[in-house]
Amino acid sequence: MFEIVMTEAGIVRVEGRLDAAQAVKAQEFLDQVGGQCVLDLSKLEYISSAGLGVLLKTHKRLMGSGSGIKLVNVNHHIHDIFRYSGFDKLFEIVPAAR
Amino acid sequence: MEQKFKRSFDELRNIVTMTEAIFRQEDLQADLRNVVDLATEELFVNMVTYNTESDEDILIEMLPHEHGIEVSLTDYNVARFDPTSASDVDVDAPLEERTPGGLGLFLVLKMVDSIHYEYRNRQSKITFVVDRK
Repeated sequence: MFEIVMTEAGIVRVEGRLDAAQAVKAQEFLDQVGGQCVLDLSKLEYISSAGLGVLLKTHKRLMGSGSGIKLVNVNHHIHDIFRYSGFDKLFEIVPAAR
Repeated sequence: MEQKFKRSFDELRNIVTMTEAIFRQEDLQADLRNVVDLATEELFVNMVTYNTESDEDILIEMLPHEHGIEVSLTDYNVARFDPTSASDVDVDAPLEERTPGGLGLFLVLKMVDSIHYEYRNRQSKITFVVDRK
């Protein structure tokens, strides 16, 4: 299961498994987002390199116009993936409360 | 446990179902799941994406052992490609130099405990092990 939605508060909520089968859906959604973008990952269970590619591509596009992606409520497993990938140096990341 | 999968990203959900089943059946440590899922997906996706000369299904075998789990993926009728020799990724590079590709095999090599490649009779087999921490 994978879902990506814009909440009433203007935060993008990502849920489930962001794998290679779901990357196109995620990219199509994020291609429509402009300005500073906050992604709530509290319900993201899993991400692979295909999902990382979606985040990186979107972040680069938004940074080009002076904004970018902020990743919030990141669980420890997803944070490990970000760290191994060097994404902790590229994105503002707020870990989930333990 | 072993199962063959068609050369489609849509099979990822069925691969996850297989992994869930063996973890439940063998009462494996849940902490290992994400690394097993990640490595299996990345290697499967790599085979589907780059071994386009084959239309044969890909075999996945999962073998629990005392310290964790061993997973093998075998691709039939394909050219040699050793994922263990994949190029490194500069994870310290600035954003403008980063590109979306190349991270998958890099992550596999970083996160599994051991990995081994065999190529024989046009069969490409990659085996990795994830141990309990």
